[in-house]
Amino acid sequence: MRALVIDDSRVMRRIVSGILEDLGYEVQQAGHGREGLDVMDGGWVPDLACVDWNMPVMDGLQFVSAVRSNPAWRQLTIMMVTSESEHGQIVRALAAGAHEYMIKPFTADAFRDKLALLGMLPQEAVL
Amino acid sequence: MTELQDTGLRRRADDAAPSITDLIDEETVQSIAQEAWSALVGEDEFLVPLPGDLPEDAVSSWVDVRGPWNGTVVITTGRSTAEQLSRELLKEHAPPVLDEEDIEDGLGELANVVGGNVKAVLPGPSALGLPVVGDAPVAGPDTCRVDLLWRGQSLTISVQGTAGALLDQ
Ligand SMILES: [Mg+2]
Repeated sequence: MRALVIDDSRVMRRIVSGILEDLGYEVQQAGHGREGLDVMDGGWVPDLACVDWNMPVMDGLQFVSAVRSNPAWRQLTIMMVTSESEHGQIVRALAAGAHEYMIKPFTADAFRDKLALLGMLPQEAVL
Repeated sequence: MTELQDTGLRRRADDAAPSITDLIDEETVQSIAQEAWSALVGEDEFLVPLPGDLPEDAVSSWVDVRGPWNGTVVITTGRSTAEQLSRELLKEHAPPVLDEEDIEDGLGELANVVGGNVKAVLPGPSALGLPVVGDAPVAGPDTCRVDLLWRGQSLTISVQGTAGALLDQ
């Protein structure tokens, strides 16, 4: 399975990518929403996108809206991974088409639990 | 006709902006920071509420909050503490030598995480700015500051309002 990790923090990208790679994901990273769309436009379509909210150029909410406006990417599961923890923001992200919402800070265990809820744990990690 | 509920947050135009110490206290700031440290730095990493001396080479990271309350959430610590923090954030994914970008990025992301959770406690909705790293913005009198020690090294977190300092909007 493939995952795209979009966050403007290189450190946070490495943390999230590390958890996903340990689970058996093939991971690509992007520093903002536009870069994420470029990766997907280039033909590398992930099963899962973990998306930060606050980023330069294109933020996470704009990325979610852009993905949801393209029927070719309907299958993509999107999880927001962000320190934006106001209730209204969570509602906005889910309304825009994100499936789950992970508030920073999180532990690796909590992250894996969210993926399990989404049915996004790769087979080898479930066994 | 529905009666408007007084949330205490509605204010007349001529009211002064709320003071930060009316909105959040030191214990809350410390517990938000502790949660970030436990989850991201390490399960057994504790922030001890004791004042210490910041070294000469102290560096800060901060995020702005814009909404019913306007201000900045700032983390300040010594450069070598910032480097250790970034290394702990990355754990086994840390490169042998951390470059300046990693150190600033790690400290900036901690400000983003602490700032985002501070923002959630304040009246909203509000917007969170992108993290900035450099010399700390000057704190006005309207500041809620906690002095902490992490592994015996000094670190401060301050939530500083623009009210009472420079009103920029
Ligand atoms: Mg960000």
